[in-house]
Amino acid sequence: MSITLAGMIAITAAVTAILMVGSRQLSMNLVLYSVQTLLVAGLTIVIGIQHQESNLFLIALAVASIKAIGIPRAFLWIVKAIQVRSDPGTILPAPLAMHFGIVLMGASSLLTSGLPVPQGTAKISLEATAALSLLLTGILLMLTRRVALSQILGFLTIENGIYLFALTQTSGMPLIVEMGILLDVLVAVMIAGLLLFRIKSSFEHIDVTQLTGLKD
Amino acid sequence: MSIILQWVSFWLSLLVLPLLLLGVIRKLKARLQNRIGAPITQPFLNFFKLMNKTETISETSSWLFRTTSVINLASVLLVAFLAPWLSYQPAIPGDDLFLVIYLLALVRFFTILSSLDTASPFGTFSSAREATLSLLVEPAMVLSLIALALSQHSTSLSKIFAFLPEISLASLPLWLLAGAGLFISSLCELSRMPIDDPTTHLELTMVHEAMIIENSGKNLALTELSYALRMAVLFGLCAQCFLHALCCIWHPNVLQQSLLSVVFLFLVGFATALVEATAVKLPWRTAPNFIAYGLTMSLLAAFVAIAQGSLK
Repeated sequence: MSITLAGMIAITAAVTAILMVGSRQLSMNLVLYSVQTLLVAGLTIVIGIQHQESNLFLIALAVASIKAIGIPRAFLWIVKAIQVRSDPGTILPAPLAMHFGIVLMGASSLLTSGLPVPQGTAKISLEATAALSLLLTGILLMLTRRVALSQILGFLTIENGIYLFALTQTSGMPLIVEMGILLDVLVAVMIAGLLLFRIKSSFEHIDVTQLTGLKD
Repeated sequence: MSIILQWVSFWLSLLVLPLLLLGVIRKLKARLQNRIGAPITQPFLNFFKLMNKTETISETSSWLFRTTSVINLASVLLVAFLAPWLSYQPAIPGDDLFLVIYLLALVRFFTILSSLDTASPFGTFSSAREATLSLLVEPAMVLSLIALALSQHSTSLSKIFAFLPEISLASLPLWLLAGAGLFISSLCELSRMPIDDPTTHLELTMVHEAMIIENSGKNLALTELSYALRMAVLFGLCAQCFLHALCCIWHPNVLQQSLLSVVFLFLVGFATALVEATAVKLPWRTAPNFIAYGLTMSLLAAFVAIAQGSLK
């Protein structure tokens, strides 16, 4: 199997997720997330051309406008409003977490090589590696971060990974299901954004490691 | 006939390019900062000026202090002959990548020794810093070259950087990532801007300049020359990586390759000047974060090389 254009785009998206783990600036993270989602949308178009399915173009448009432009812009506004610029991080320092992300990418490559695939398709798929790597990197991002906004970004990265996996490993998702997922994500992000404001106004910080005790 | 032409052009490049590259980087940096800057030939003039000056040597320093610059220049010259930093360079047997890496480490070792030998307080702390930096940079630099070696199944540098006619689009990410990793680690290796400011003389911030602060006259001239040569070789290797990335898309002939390798060398120099004009020097404690990006690029290159090997 040779390296395809779709595989290269998917791996680049996974690399931007790893770079997100390495950067502690929230605005930089948001820009990287936007690039990552744009790449995922581009991949949707490439697959749409390959499989000749016109509803994938609509999905790509929705993904690009809502997840790549809408959500990062809203979060950039929140970052400005609540005056939190960078994430102090937890035990694992950002550079080491980034290297660990690459190790996870290698692990996902090993995992996908053992994945049962339908008859007649290629053995190892770079797209599946990238999807699994996005999923694991999202979890890593959520584990190594302290600020609530980064937790949401980690969640969105996981969502990208799941979307990528569904897109590349199945023969095509119904438009209505994908639109439903997009709506769910949008609502979840809006609620999370509102919660961020509430946490900031009642606790004076958005540090999730200090939100363990109850307050009277 | 062509081998004579290769040697003649290589000798000419070896004499002219290193100091010219240094001058061009300084000029570009000055222009980017809205200064006029010294002429491009200033490093050559400096070299001849320093060669004619008398030398001041501390009474406490031993023979090591004066021998170091000669040893360094000799090792860097050997590296310049072994490492294929220009595409028209004639191949020499024994050009193993580990030999080149550890000849560069030898240069650093002797620089550190000589700066400790002068017993100047600046020399002591800067050599401690340099040793720490080398510890961080070396994995990134070695790994980016090993990733390339993995894909070519050889540690011989002339085989790694050989222009293969069947090079395809699939090896584009490998060359780009390895080039990026090599570029970031050479910025640190050469103590350029985000890690160390080559123009500063504030003793608390400088690393490389503080190590050679006691050198003067001919000693300083040789040290500067070997620094320029080291820079040309390392940036030349980066340029070769990016040139190979270009060759994945478009196949130039031999003459075009030779011209492009010089052009790319100066483009890497331009990128350095751009970094130096825009970036601020990082605080010492955040320097590892910057170097980590170099290691990330090299790790990704190694990942791509291994994945390609298993896909074949």
